[in-house]
Amino acid sequence: MTASDRDPATGRPVPTTAGGGPAGGTPSGSGNGQGDGAALLRVEDLKVYFPIREGMIIERHVGDVRAVDGISFSMTRGETLGLVGESGCGKSTTGRAIIRLYEPTAGRVLFDGVDITSLDKGGLKGMRRRMQMIFQDPYASLDPRMTAGGIIAEPLDIHDVGAKRDRRMRVRDLLSTVGLNPDYADRYPHEFSGGQRQRIGVARALALEPDMIVADEPISALDVSIQAQIINLLERLQDSLGLTYLFIAHDLSVIRHISDRIAVMYLGRIVELASSRDLNRTPLHPYTVALLSAVPIPDPVVESRRRRIILTGDVPSPVNPPSGCRFHTRCWLRQQLGNPGECETVDPEFRVLGPMHEVACHFAARVDGSTEQLQATGRAPAHAAGAIAGGAEFGDASPPGPPDRPQGVAD
Amino acid sequence: MALLSVQDLVVRFRTHEGTIHAVNGVTFELEEGERLGLVGESGCGKSVTNLAIIRLLPKPAGRIEGGRVLFEGQDLLVLREDEVRDIRGSDIAMIFQDPMTSLNPVLTIQEQMVETIQAHRKVSKEDARARAIELLAMVGIPNPAARLKSFPHQFSGGMRQRVMIAMALALAPKLLIADEPTTALDVTIQAQVLELLAQLTTKSSTALILITHDLGVVAGMTQRINVMYAGFIVETAPTAELFARPSHPYSVGLLHSIPRLDEEGGEELIPIEGRPPDMRRAPTGCPFAPRCAWRVEACWTNNPELRPLTEGGPVVMTGPKATHRIACHNPPTPNEVRGGRPLRAGFTAAPPPAEMLDELSLAPAEVTADLKGLMAGIQVEEGPLSVYPSAGGLPIPPEPERRNDGL
Repeated sequence: MTASDRDPATGRPVPTTAGGGPAGGTPSGSGNGQGDGAALLRVEDLKVYFPIREGMIIERHVGDVRAVDGISFSMTRGETLGLVGESGCGKSTTGRAIIRLYEPTAGRVLFDGVDITSLDKGGLKGMRRRMQMIFQDPYASLDPRMTAGGIIAEPLDIHDVGAKRDRRMRVRDLLSTVGLNPDYADRYPHEFSGGQRQRIGVARALALEPDMIVADEPISALDVSIQAQIINLLERLQDSLGLTYLFIAHDLSVIRHISDRIAVMYLGRIVELASSRDLNRTPLHPYTVALLSAVPIPDPVVESRRRRIILTGDVPSPVNPPSGCRFHTRCWLRQQLGNPGECETVDPEFRVLGPMHEVACHFAARVDGSTEQLQATGRAPAHAAGAIAGGAEFGDASPPGPPDRPQGVAD
Repeated sequence: MALLSVQDLVVRFRTHEGTIHAVNGVTFELEEGERLGLVGESGCGKSVTNLAIIRLLPKPAGRIEGGRVLFEGQDLLVLREDEVRDIRGSDIAMIFQDPMTSLNPVLTIQEQMVETIQAHRKVSKEDARARAIELLAMVGIPNPAARLKSFPHQFSGGMRQRVMIAMALALAPKLLIADEPTTALDVTIQAQVLELLAQLTTKSSTALILITHDLGVVAGMTQRINVMYAGFIVETAPTAELFARPSHPYSVGLLHSIPRLDEEGGEELIPIEGRPPDMRRAPTGCPFAPRCAWRVEACWTNNPELRPLTEGGPVVMTGPKATHRIACHNPPTPNEVRGGRPLRAGFTAAPPPAEMLDELSLAPAEVTADLKGLMAGIQVEEGPLSVYPSAGGLPIPPEPERRNDGL
């Protein structure tokens, strides 16, 4: 599946963005108020804090884990938005808060115009028919004492869809939809392999014919050769059923493959949001560049051309995130620019830099065309060839010779 | 003489559910300072091979049932336990996936490092401590003297793996075995740790066996790769050669089933159908045959040996000129390697022989369905990913054509 033909601005068979050129019906979030009614999902300044309490008998609220700290984005019908970031960045919390498995601390989640955060129990149940979830662990997310058929039928039972007999037929349909033998409805989860279990999880999510599926690391527990089976299945289902996916993963290669647009998260914030293609070709946030550069590519020739940006230290605690820009403590660009004070004091706004390309960095313009950006994306030789036969070449962040500048986005 | 020579290693596990054929005759060599990647999926025998090399197989279930492991000419498999212990840690060191479980949680880093050093070298506690500080500084732990007093849980995942590397390199081993050293780490931390590993092993010309399922990691880190499947090495070649000319259907399948960050768009993922082999079954025929799109009749009954891709000339076992070898009766052509599937006109994967069907049909689900259909030559009615009656009344087209770029 390509980035270009799935690009929401161009080729996607989505009625709502039909006329939209890149500048037109931008479906992306924060900046553009009420503009497009096309959004299936709109997240506005979502915050999810987990309180930290101390004391055994008299509990005191001593602080918060700010798992998600003010993020906004929107999604059009039929698109796939990839949410990527390292562990603890809040991507899974975001997914769960959107379908209200976690109670948002603040902000709004509008699904088809309805604010989910203010729904009562009954309203929420109705809404959840239209948003389903696929979980990471195909072992933990299926009840071992229920049959595959029972698991898939459970949403139908809960929402009282159809007669009992019809439900059995529906389960068989769903099993074959996800590529399993319908006769296996009576088997138990332990009789299936990991990939097959994940198919059961997909069938369960499809049971109620949802509009949107939140897929939280749906393939990371699977073997490499099985991952592609599930990715292809999800893509095929999207094509035929017009599903909207919020696809959460830590693996940029997978996200790049399946997503139309990608949001990169760091410490509870979205730092960059762009089309899949733009994000990979012209990343504009220093963190995105570092993240891209760190992903190994299974090709020694390409690897020898690339140069990793080694970020120092670990991700700071979300209990007490750094002031100003949250990435400033590890930012390679800030160091290069001589540690400008702005980064430490001013929280960078989410700015639109280029068509549907939003970035939260004061100096994003300096990233574009930089040696680091070119090397991370494999567009500039790290140094003369010759390292190929020798195998590994890892460099530090220091730039070798001047790169040829390609056309930029922001300039 | 090679630093390490593994010859015809066979490892089996006796369990309640039967015998697990974990490693089925693995042979490879390693020179001093060489970096070898062992690639394969879970259960392919890559970790067991290395546990056998350092004689750390879980007892009594795991048994080395054949072969030799020569380290500097000495067979490790015939040594007494105390003799092995001398070699383990000092000449051969190992790093595991999860640093939390390989460090002792109730001892400080200092106690563990000093213990390791003093177990193998006759040095005073003070000298051992000084060496420990030096090592922690070498792996980039800030303020090493103070951090020595910390317990493992006081370090982050990346830092713990650094501590493990420091301990592994404490005695300047000749061989370092790293088993999925970065799998538990985030990608930016993985980059830190891999860089450190590459730097330190190059500097001390320590040989490295890197075990991983991640083809990207071996592409950048190793000089030579063994691809393992079901306890066999199915392909071996220098790293650049393997990626330029992957030749075993399994290696080809792996490369086509992972998305690449630098893909231009439009690259289709071609999954390997079916599922990993059941290691309880003694291998007859090629272990990959049930999942292989290129299988011919012989594949079902005759397990191919590892043979040079181009015949003639002596087989070179190590180094950058190592011979590219595969175990395959019907290797894909270069075009098929690029395309990811057989392109020969009229070619269909050979159905299993009749006498194997009963046995195979006991295996649940995907594989079975696939095989039944192939056997009978009839319409597959319950295959994996082949039948799409409907989903909630919406018709689903069978196997939609992939949209190409620009369409």
